[in-house]
Amino acid sequence: MSPVLKLTDVSVSFNTPRGMLKAVRGVTIELNAGESLGVVGESGSGKTVLSRATMGLLPRTATRTGTVEYLGTDISNYDAKQVRDLWGTGMAMIFQDPMTALNPVRRIGDQLTESLVVRLGMDKKAAREKAVALLKRVRIPDPDAMMRKFPYQLSGGMRQRIMIAIAVSCNPEMLFADEPTTALDVTVQAQVLELLSELRKEFNMAMILVTHDLGVVAGHTDKIAVMYAGDVVEYAPTRQLFTNMKMPYTEALLKSIPRLETPTGTRLPVIEGRLPDPTKDEPGCPFANRCPYVTDKCRAEKPPLTDGGNNHFYRCWFPIGGN
Amino acid sequence: MSNTTEAVEIAPQEKTKKPRPVGFYIAGGWLAVIVFVGLFGRFFPLPQWDEASFDDLGVAPFSPRHLLGTSQDGYDMLSGLINGARLSVFISICSVVMGGGIGSILGITAAYYRGRLDAIVVTMFNIMLSIPNLVLSLALLSVLAYSDANNPASTSRRVGVLILSLTIVLIPILGRISRSSALQWSSREFILASKSMGSSNFTIIRKHIVPNVAPAILAIGFLAIGSIIIVEGSLSILGIGIPGGASWGSMLANGRGNIAFSPHEVYLPALCIAFTVISSNYFGDYVRSRLDKRESKI
Repeated sequence: MSPVLKLTDVSVSFNTPRGMLKAVRGVTIELNAGESLGVVGESGSGKTVLSRATMGLLPRTATRTGTVEYLGTDISNYDAKQVRDLWGTGMAMIFQDPMTALNPVRRIGDQLTESLVVRLGMDKKAAREKAVALLKRVRIPDPDAMMRKFPYQLSGGMRQRIMIAIAVSCNPEMLFADEPTTALDVTVQAQVLELLSELRKEFNMAMILVTHDLGVVAGHTDKIAVMYAGDVVEYAPTRQLFTNMKMPYTEALLKSIPRLETPTGTRLPVIEGRLPDPTKDEPGCPFANRCPYVTDKCRAEKPPLTDGGNNHFYRCWFPIGGN
Repeated sequence: MSNTTEAVEIAPQEKTKKPRPVGFYIAGGWLAVIVFVGLFGRFFPLPQWDEASFDDLGVAPFSPRHLLGTSQDGYDMLSGLINGARLSVFISICSVVMGGGIGSILGITAAYYRGRLDAIVVTMFNIMLSIPNLVLSLALLSVLAYSDANNPASTSRRVGVLILSLTIVLIPILGRISRSSALQWSSREFILASKSMGSSNFTIIRKHIVPNVAPAILAIGFLAIGSIIIVEGSLSILGIGIPGGASWGSMLANGRGNIAFSPHEVYLPALCIAFTVISSNYFGDYVRSRLDKRESKI
């Protein structure tokens, strides 16, 4: 069976007044049904652009190269109509901020049934029943009353559940979750992630979970792609990545997560410096200026994506623990 | 256990309904009276507005047969005002609905699709706005409803052309407001979210943009009704509006020569215009303030 999603050498650049901004530089990723991939990186590393580019939800200033295959079909050259037919029923997306991703003047029920009626051609009554069932599925108490509510009456966690219900309403094969928990309370984050994992298994969906938090992806993904400055710098099965990480960048990311067991008053390690200018093509490893293990070779030559065995890929001349 | 947790509903916010301000009832009441009188005024047992009673020329208000007096030519003021309400309200509502309709269709489409269409629409609006309203109406009226002593244009023709010219004046004004509002809403994430579920552009405009833009257009629409009544009055005073005292502005124009002998002939229609304009402005502001509150809740 062909994979649900296969990206080959996908690059995205934006036409800006300062020149071409390269947001994603040649990413290759494969995802099977029911599998989930975590895309991790700091702000500006290209993770959101990658997921939007895969769906084709980019603004007009952007150009995408490379091939995107969905269920074995190359969809890179689909026109607007063909792509739209895939949206919702094939690929769906959950957005970062549930506060802004719902229309403030329409009732939850109307927004939830919209795609059911428009995309699946259900009649109003069937759509309503399905919507109530979906609300129940995402554990909204009293779904009938919820159908009549407006977004401002709900908390962030509730709204994100509604967004999830909308996204899965047309049974997509592929779900993109773009930082689904960033805008939520820590206590609600775990519930929402748990819900996403359950739904993924139930509907056998492939999922891409975009986040900047390694802790979020740890328990909910099968593999992880760490992105830095538009490149995938480490790509490995989740367990493999956490037990045997190769990239200094991944290590630095993990170190900068606050931990309960560290004594009070300890300084939280941060990654010094900032991302390189995305409009310029500088030689060498893009992480060189911030890397604690940097050598002259790192500054001169960009490391290729190296196969470390066990499906573990990394982009480093001097990986942690040797080659 | 996290998989048994249910989403906890936040405490329902008790809506504290503030009593509406007194001005709301006064303005609303006045507008309701005007609309009612405009619709049903012709069934009232009053003298015909266009038939002069030669026994009562320039009678003061509160006289036995004429509640609000008559003009120097013997026309009953009350029935004149009631008839004027009909025309003034009809003209302003028609032109605001048409101008607002066409303007917002153009503005919203331009804002949603951007690109070349947007550039064309904006340029068109700017050109239309660069022509002074009164001059534009004047030109249209004198070309399309030309009238002189030998071949006078009928009142209905004049009303039609007046509505047309006021509509043209309103299209860019209301169009620009709906464009800027739609522009704001188009970049919101819920538009992208609906798009990512495969909704067509038409569905997105109809279900997501129009409901959000509508209150802004409604608020400005009320303000526009007020200014249109004024424009209609100004045109009548210039002598090219509705002739023969059929509208408030026209009554004003007819009566201005008699202000020394029968001042009520000028004051009464002027007061009607003033009250209506103030009321519709107040209403527009009220709608807008409600709109601001709603936005702050999001």
